Amino acid sequence: MSNILSFLLVSPLVIAGLISFIPAKNTLLIKNIALISSSVIFVISLFLWVEFDESTSLFQFTETLFQSNIAQGSVFDGLNFVLGIDGISIFFVILSAFLTPICLLVGWQSVQNYVKEYCIAFLVLESFMIGVFEVLDLLLFYIFFESVLVPMFVIIGVWGSRERKIRAAYQFFLYTLFGSLLMLLSILLIYFQVGTFDLEVLYTTQWSESRELLLWLAFFASFAVKVPMIPVHIWLPEAHVEAPTAGSVILAGILLKLGTYGFIRFSIPMFPFACMYFTPLVMTLSVLAVVYVSLTTIRQVDLKKIIAYSSVAHMNFVTIGLFSQNIQGIEGSVLLMLSHGLVAPGLFLAIGVLYDRHKTRILRYYSGCGRVMPIYAFIFVFFTMANISLPGTSSFPGEFLIMIGIYQNNTFVTFLAATTMVLGGAYALWLCNRLIYGTFKPHFISTFSDINRREFFTFLPFIISIVWIGVYPEPFLNVMHCSCVNLLYQGY
Amino acid sequence: MYLNQPIYNQVSFSSFLFENDYLALIPEIFLISAGIFLLVYGCIFSTSSTYNFPILSTNIGWFVILTFIYTILLIYNAEINNAILLYNTLVIDDFTQFIKICCLLASAVTILISLDYLKAKSLNAFESMILILLATVGMLFLISSADFISLYLTIELQSLAFYVLAALKRNSEFSTEAGIKYFLLGAFSSGLLLFGCSLIYGFTGTISFSECAKLFAGTAGLSESISTSTFSIPACQLGIIFLLTGFLFKIAAAPFHMWSPDVYEGAPTPVTTFFTVTPKLAFFAAFLRLFLEGFYDLIDTWQTVIIISSSISMILGAFAALTQNKIKRFLAFSSISHAGYLLVGFACASIEGVQSLLLYLIVYIVMNIAVFAIILSGTRHTKNHTLSQIKYITDLAYLAKTNPLIAITFTITMFSMAGIPPFAGFYSKAFLFFSALSSNLGLLAILGILTSVLTCFYYIRLIRIMYFSIPKTWCNSVRIPRGNAYILALSFYFLTFFIFYPAPLYLVVHKAALALCI
Repeated sequence: MSNILSFLLVSPLVIAGLISFIPAKNTLLIKNIALISSSVIFVISLFLWVEFDESTSLFQFTETLFQSNIAQGSVFDGLNFVLGIDGISIFFVILSAFLTPICLLVGWQSVQNYVKEYCIAFLVLESFMIGVFEVLDLLLFYIFFESVLVPMFVIIGVWGSRERKIRAAYQFFLYTLFGSLLMLLSILLIYFQVGTFDLEVLYTTQWSESRELLLWLAFFASFAVKVPMIPVHIWLPEAHVEAPTAGSVILAGILLKLGTYGFIRFSIPMFPFACMYFTPLVMTLSVLAVVYVSLTTIRQVDLKKIIAYSSVAHMNFVTIGLFSQNIQGIEGSVLLMLSHGLVAPGLFLAIGVLYDRHKTRILRYYSGCGRVMPIYAFIFVFFTMANISLPGTSSFPGEFLIMIGIYQNNTFVTFLAATTMVLGGAYALWLCNRLIYGTFKPHFISTFSDINRREFFTFLPFIISIVWIGVYPEPFLNVMHCSCVNLLYQGY
Repeated sequence: MYLNQPIYNQVSFSSFLFENDYLALIPEIFLISAGIFLLVYGCIFSTSSTYNFPILSTNIGWFVILTFIYTILLIYNAEINNAILLYNTLVIDDFTQFIKICCLLASAVTILISLDYLKAKSLNAFESMILILLATVGMLFLISSADFISLYLTIELQSLAFYVLAALKRNSEFSTEAGIKYFLLGAFSSGLLLFGCSLIYGFTGTISFSECAKLFAGTAGLSESISTSTFSIPACQLGIIFLLTGFLFKIAAAPFHMWSPDVYEGAPTPVTTFFTVTPKLAFFAAFLRLFLEGFYDLIDTWQTVIIISSSISMILGAFAALTQNKIKRFLAFSSISHAGYLLVGFACASIEGVQSLLLYLIVYIVMNIAVFAIILSGTRHTKNHTLSQIKYITDLAYLAKTNPLIAITFTITMFSMAGIPPFAGFYSKAFLFFSALSSNLGLLAILGILTSVLTCFYYIRLIRIMYFSIPKTWCNSVRIPRGNAYILALSFYFLTFFIFYPAPLYLVVHKAALALCI
């Protein structure tokens, strides 16, 4: 049990390595091995939660891989492979482990070519994602943060749907790279000052005022691209629309969380002064994004773009909560991140179901599909309701806590942020209305093709957990409480 | 500074004249004699009618590889690892030994991956192998040169071999043109270098690096005040500028890069491989010694020049490679931008700088060898069964379909060249930027970061072509030769798994840097 984190980090890579030795024509064997092993990894990751000590904000399950310094004798001899999780990162580790078997299951039939590579790409991606949330070392965080690009680039480029996918993959890659290279520079600057990348040491370090502002901005450049904040959010709809369904699931489920997780883990505790200083900037950008992106969503005709834009709106709502400087806001943000990691993938899965059958994502094509796909209609409406944070679904406690948090801090921002309730409702219901109801078009949708059993079982865990968090969020809030309080005291 | 010569009482001719120097020079002596032996062997047998005039290029190629491996062993097991030889002409220390081993390895690998190409193109020129051997000898001496005379002579030895190599394919216009161009510009740059040497000699009266160091000690910032009839700092600065120009010419850094795309493109591909890889090592080694030891106190002068050249190289490399169609030109511009990154490490003039430069060099060499191993193995087969090498970038189209393993290796190499994290290229770049920051060259680091985003564009373009674009004529892939496959596999593992255990290379590089800087 003591090295569960390194197990989670390494085992997907090992399995990917094993799979690479299986001949590519045994697709069923490959798929089965990948699915079963990643499900086992998910179950093992749940032990983290079972064994987690809720009464402390310390990093738990800590371990050091490669006991001797891996970069010994170099200028980077402060580089340590230290792993550990606290109440915030635990859920993202579990979520990463949870989404990977789902992704494999999504591609069960729709992915016909390069099946072996598909499985390998997702397993490698899983390992990198878990790595991002587990490492307690700044440079290693950066390495994993960036490494995610490579499998994601491949996933969008190879199994994406249209010709435009290459452009999308490019945009995704270059936007993210540009932001994060600035972060690399500031990481080097930090190392130059402190002499270590160890996070626990960095938390106790004091920076000079101007340097702190500079470092914060450099980190912000990277995280804002990932969140995505408003001037640099263009990559997201492109990447989402062109990605395969499983790619969208990972993008929305985990990769969007990397930016906000970066704020939580690095910006707020390491640069508290700069965080206070730049709060107006973050608030302005986030509120702009919430309003503007919600309005943009209403006029989209591409199903995936609608969900992608709504993800942007939700993630910016999360940043509002993070910078609200009180415990409700922060806890609400973490909970909303978690909930969004379930709701948005669910919606993307739902769109994937349609796309698999009719190979188009134009909204008008599907009008009235509720008539031939009743179960699907139910599931879609359920996820839409979760998306606009209906009480009883998982988004509600998160958004509600954020509202409480931001209201204590800034009424005006609260007012603007609360428009998400209306605007979110507008686009989501409008989408639902046009998709499920409306004139049935028998020329287009002629065959009865409701969801099959496999698809139903991929939806089921999402539905269960969404309702669970919505009705009884205590287990989640309890686990994250100490860490969030600690973050608050470190930060503000 | 270095260990003194061992003194023996026994009087014999050798100890009278050169004392124990020949012991330390055994690797070079072995290499030269092996070269002469192979030359004689080749001449006799390739003109022998009893054996029906055999084509010996592969045969001698293997011999040269063997010779290189023996020389590596000789260097590795050398009894004398730290000495000044031949009356202040040559120097041996950990730094030179390390670079020499790298140099020999790179040359051996270059020959290994080009053997099949020679066979396919039926290049009946075993002397190319001998020339590579001779150029390598020149570079070994260049690495350990400790005064201007040996510096210049060894540069000329390897350059002369290079001029001939560039013009190897006599029936190709490109190759002859490349040879001429390279000869003219190389001779010109050697002239500049020589003029720099003579200026410094004329105004200091010494040709030894260490004596230069003693002369210039403590003169930092006094450039205007010290100017007597025999010793003038401004004149020496002029000499340094000339020396630097020659150096930048040789490593194809930006304002003096104009020969490199043409020569890289025109020269036969094995020769191009050799050009991109080995000379960089030797020149950086020699000039690091010259500038960090001899001219360290005049750092203000040369650091500025190197910073300027480095930034121009990075910018030019980032933009010019965007529009290239031919893969060798593309690689030429990419190597210009890599030269810019290497110069960042040079400009730092610190232990970290040298260390990160060496690390970057090694990773760069591995990446380049991986790319050339693919280009050199004729991986294509058209309908008419004419084997054609990859010449244009678009020839890579759909490599992912015809040869997926090679495509993946190529992709990893490209990501590594672009400096994407889990691969070795990232580490070396991060190192460089860190040492730049610690030497107060923050702007250079920022520029490096920005240009490396730009370079990503074109490295990813290659990946895109490999995976997504549809070729005009469909080609089948042929089996790549075994040697290339091994080299590819090794470099793939190096680039991918370097992250897990980088310590040995760090330590070696650190030791080498310490030997140079202290």
